[in-house]
Amino acid sequence: MKASDALIELFRRTHGEVHNQLIDSLLAGRLSRRAFMRHGSCLGVSLATLGSIAGGVGLVAGPRLARAQGAGGTIRVAQNAPASAIDPVKIADGPGLAILSYVGDFLCFDRNDLTLEPMLAESWSPNKDGTVWTFKLRQGVKFHNGKPLTADDVVASIERLADPANGSNALSAFTGYLSKGGTRKVDDQTVAFHLDAANGSFPYLVSSDNYNAIILPADYAGNFEQSMIATGAFKLEKYTPQVGASFVRNADYWGGQVAPERIEATFYADIQPQILALQGGQADVILQAPVLQSVAVLNDPNFEVISLPSTAHQQLHMRNDMEPFKDPRVRRAVALTLDRQKLVQGLMKGRAKIGNDSPFAGVYPMTDKSVPQRERNIAEAKELMAAAGMANGFETTLTTERFLEIPDYAVLVQNAVKEIGGKINLNVLDQGAYYGDAVYGKSPWLDSVMGITDYGHRGVPNVFLSAPLRSDGTWNGAHFKNKDYDQLVTSYIASLDVEAQRATAGKIQRLLLEETPVIFSYFYDYLTVVKKGMSGVLTTAMGQLLLAKATMG
Amino acid sequence: MARFLLKRVAMSLITLWLLSVIVFTAGQVLPGNVGRAMLGPFADQRAVDALNHEMGTDRPLLVQYGDWISRFVQGDMGRSYAYRAPVAPFVGNALANSAKLALVAFLLVVPLSLAMGVMAALHAGRPVDRIIMVAGMSATIVPEFVSGIILILIFGVWLRWLPISATWRPGAGFFGQLYHLLLPAIPLVLILFGYIARMARAGTIEALDADYTRTAVLKGLPQSTVLWRHVLRNALLPTVSVIATQTAYLIGGLVVIETLFHYQGIGSLIFLAANKKDFPMLQAGVLAVGCVFAVASLMADLIYSWLNPRIRFGAGE
Amino acid sequence: MSEATAAQGAASTPEVSVAQERRERLGQLLSSPTFLTGAVIVVFWAVCAIFGHALVPYDPLADDMLNTLLPPSREHFFGTDQLGRDVFSRVITGSRDILTVAPLATLLGTLGGTVLGLAMGYSRGLVDEVLSRVVDALLALPTVIVALLALVALGTSKLTVVLVIAFGFMPIIARTVRAAVLAERELDYVAAAKLRLEGPFHIMFAEILPNVAPPIMVETTVRLGYAIFTVATLSFIGFGIQPPSPDWGLSISANYGLIGGGYWWTVLFDGLAIASLVIGVNLIADGIESVADG
Repeated sequence: MKASDALIELFRRTHGEVHNQLIDSLLAGRLSRRAFMRHGSCLGVSLATLGSIAGGVGLVAGPRLARAQGAGGTIRVAQNAPASAIDPVKIADGPGLAILSYVGDFLCFDRNDLTLEPMLAESWSPNKDGTVWTFKLRQGVKFHNGKPLTADDVVASIERLADPANGSNALSAFTGYLSKGGTRKVDDQTVAFHLDAANGSFPYLVSSDNYNAIILPADYAGNFEQSMIATGAFKLEKYTPQVGASFVRNADYWGGQVAPERIEATFYADIQPQILALQGGQADVILQAPVLQSVAVLNDPNFEVISLPSTAHQQLHMRNDMEPFKDPRVRRAVALTLDRQKLVQGLMKGRAKIGNDSPFAGVYPMTDKSVPQRERNIAEAKELMAAAGMANGFETTLTTERFLEIPDYAVLVQNAVKEIGGKINLNVLDQGAYYGDAVYGKSPWLDSVMGITDYGHRGVPNVFLSAPLRSDGTWNGAHFKNKDYDQLVTSYIASLDVEAQRATAGKIQRLLLEETPVIFSYFYDYLTVVKKGMSGVLTTAMGQLLLAKATMG
Repeated sequence: MARFLLKRVAMSLITLWLLSVIVFTAGQVLPGNVGRAMLGPFADQRAVDALNHEMGTDRPLLVQYGDWISRFVQGDMGRSYAYRAPVAPFVGNALANSAKLALVAFLLVVPLSLAMGVMAALHAGRPVDRIIMVAGMSATIVPEFVSGIILILIFGVWLRWLPISATWRPGAGFFGQLYHLLLPAIPLVLILFGYIARMARAGTIEALDADYTRTAVLKGLPQSTVLWRHVLRNALLPTVSVIATQTAYLIGGLVVIETLFHYQGIGSLIFLAANKKDFPMLQAGVLAVGCVFAVASLMADLIYSWLNPRIRFGAGE
Repeated sequence: MSEATAAQGAASTPEVSVAQERRERLGQLLSSPTFLTGAVIVVFWAVCAIFGHALVPYDPLADDMLNTLLPPSREHFFGTDQLGRDVFSRVITGSRDILTVAPLATLLGTLGGTVLGLAMGYSRGLVDEVLSRVVDALLALPTVIVALLALVALGTSKLTVVLVIAFGFMPIIARTVRAAVLAERELDYVAAAKLRLEGPFHIMFAEILPNVAPPIMVETTVRLGYAIFTVATLSFIGFGIQPPSPDWGLSISANYGLIGGGYWWTVLFDGLAIASLVIGVNLIADGIESVADG
């Protein structure tokens, strides 16, 4: 018996049925290394164990980052100013959640390959049907004020987010799965989450994926900007709204020696001066660089661009209950006019991956890759238009927001649709106006006949599958109502078995291609720019920036 | 004098109060609501309601306005909804930034346009005069962002002489700040140059024609002395009122320059507050600009009468 | 302060020579080099606005994603923008929207402001006092701020931009008209009309208005320049002309982030176009003003 076989046997004996199915899939060659690692990590198997098992069956890991040299010094971060006060419960913007990532930790961390890595939790596991998840906490973790981390802090932190009275931004992520009272202390080192409905990906909801879920002391009472007491690698030195913040190394960090002595974050109103600050040597890192505005540095040899494939995208929705998009053939025709290769190359300068009109981005391991990619096909589009009785085309208004490359994307859609006789008028609104009150009847986003909306990265597609597409979804701008779809999504989310997930994913992908309530033409990369020679900078597509191991080189 | 002052101050107060009512009403028709603007489109409605309740933005409009103004007259400008902190430091900081930029622009434009205005007057009707006047008025009407972009291209990108961001490094000294403010100040200089030069020219021509100037010349005083003593003072007179009327623009109207050069002045503060429905911030910002305007007009009247004793208070009203 | 302008309207002329004087002024205007230069520039852009689409080498809206950000060359005189659109074609056709919106706004603002100013100057008393306060309050704020607040509230479309600018101009024009009317209302011909028991509307519009026309004319041309200025500025901030229009302000706004990377051609030509148009209008205003002043 080979050593790896022995390991696998040991694993089989010590783990339950769900875990054994995972091993079966791996051995049968139905899972790639990445999918195996990812799914195993979600089920709470340690990455080391997963790595040795995968290595045992011949799936070798990619090269690991070289060990950091030359620790110390100050790292200067250029970033957009947070949109509002830094309050972990309410934060809803990228620059704000980045600040949280400097000072705080999550129970687990969603790595860039979409595997979960233990952070404040050492391990976790579901019960048999995925309705109760039990997390074991790391021992010896201290808050910045010296108090030890206990289960009480974790319960209080998550309950605070789940309580509708607190105006928490995480509420919409928890809704349907975790309610107030569902988080319970088992003992000082163990917390159990009792869910409202089965969820095979629940750990993502308490990971860095849910950026509000940093663990705070149980007695946290607001005013976070004053002290920012949490457990992270850096401690707050000074925070000045709209200007900047500085942080110092946390000498007691549970994750070992923190490399930089200090972080200095400077807030800017826009990306352009950040690029200039980097070019002028006044900054070492640009937290996020939107591709269109960053053309200038993308090809500059003095800088390195960390390009993370993400699942962030722009949804182009069409009202299923309104003309001219009532007929799915018209919606398919519109989708067929887009040249996605050119969109990625031209609009996104190659820093994006092509989408196939469903939330299942290529980077998700459970995406069924056997579903054929939709390509531009004007002839077929014209046939569909004729079949739908719209050979003469249509006229409609595309309403959208002024954000990133969206106005340009809208212009390209407008031009593409001309080929099948579609006349689109553009109505580009300020972001606040576009979202309006964000409830049906009081929001151009949810009421417009056609619209483009930006969606941030998610480690699992569950939110993308539910809120914008289910009949009861709260962000369903397309007004897509399909019973089969709803059932497929429910069973997809409940399943703990990766093969079942992938099979369902395939069905969902085909159904969405047929119906095309929303066009997903590309998923864009998350770009962070650093000075040449820096190493150990870890970013997430969510917008977190981890500098604990960063060195200037 | 005291009566005149009192009347002017009372007028200004009424104007400011009207302004607060206008802004408040405008603030209510801005799309979206406060809690939603803060938590973003993807937040749960229950969370939005809770936040609105916490901040008191779910109360009737008149109650909100009454609450705001009763605090305001006691010197409490309120707390920002977005930053959940007192508004005053934000407004103070932005006002200081705007004042710095305006000051740099004034220091550049006033001597330059006075000199040019006087020069044009001395050559009235000749090509020098036409060129200065037409070029000046043309510069005035070119939008700041156009001249700003061209300046950025020349001095920031091609020659690399000046930084193209107005925001200096924290802790920068006087010269460091000045260095960053030069480029953004030039479009403002261009905007104001035409007005001030034209006013200075008119004042100078009037003075040159006046009896006292003729007397001085007849007395045999050298031309330079006549210019300095009699003509320049008159050239300054109308300039003062132009400066006063342009102060509000220079302090609050620079959204474009502030956007282009990434500077945190009161113009962008107002704009940002409007976008976020941050009503206390919006009110404080707008009223600050209104106050600056009121004070500047009052100051201008006082300086005007000091420079020109012939004007009696109240005669113009 | 603004009372100074009242002097302009004070010079009333005997009616007999009105037609002759007009002809004379027109002759003066046509021989003024500033006016002629301005007229040539403005007419050029007006022609481009009307016929430009037929003259340019490329469709100004057509994207070409494989040829983005090309520098100026023989195929693309002014290069291409980040969607691969031909910058030359866009600059030439880019005057259409601004030359529709700005004159409309000016016209509307002048009409409203004149009526308001006549009413304020003629009636004096309470109406004047109240309206003056409101006008003061509005003028205390920079136009751009007022326009921005209004557009955020109303939503952006060509119509709202026209209305907002017109509304913003009204108090300014009203002030000028009021000052001119204040000087006129004390003159004999007004008193005579009152003796004839003419109604206030007749006196305001039939008697006073023709006599305050010259300052209104000058103010209108000056305002047209500012209307172009304001529309371009609003487009730059994103609240004016909307995509995919090749409007200059809008193009600069979309591309100015690229100049740090050396893609200067995406903004320079649009900038020069705006500058030339506003200067052209200003030269015309200058010409008219010097003729009106005599």
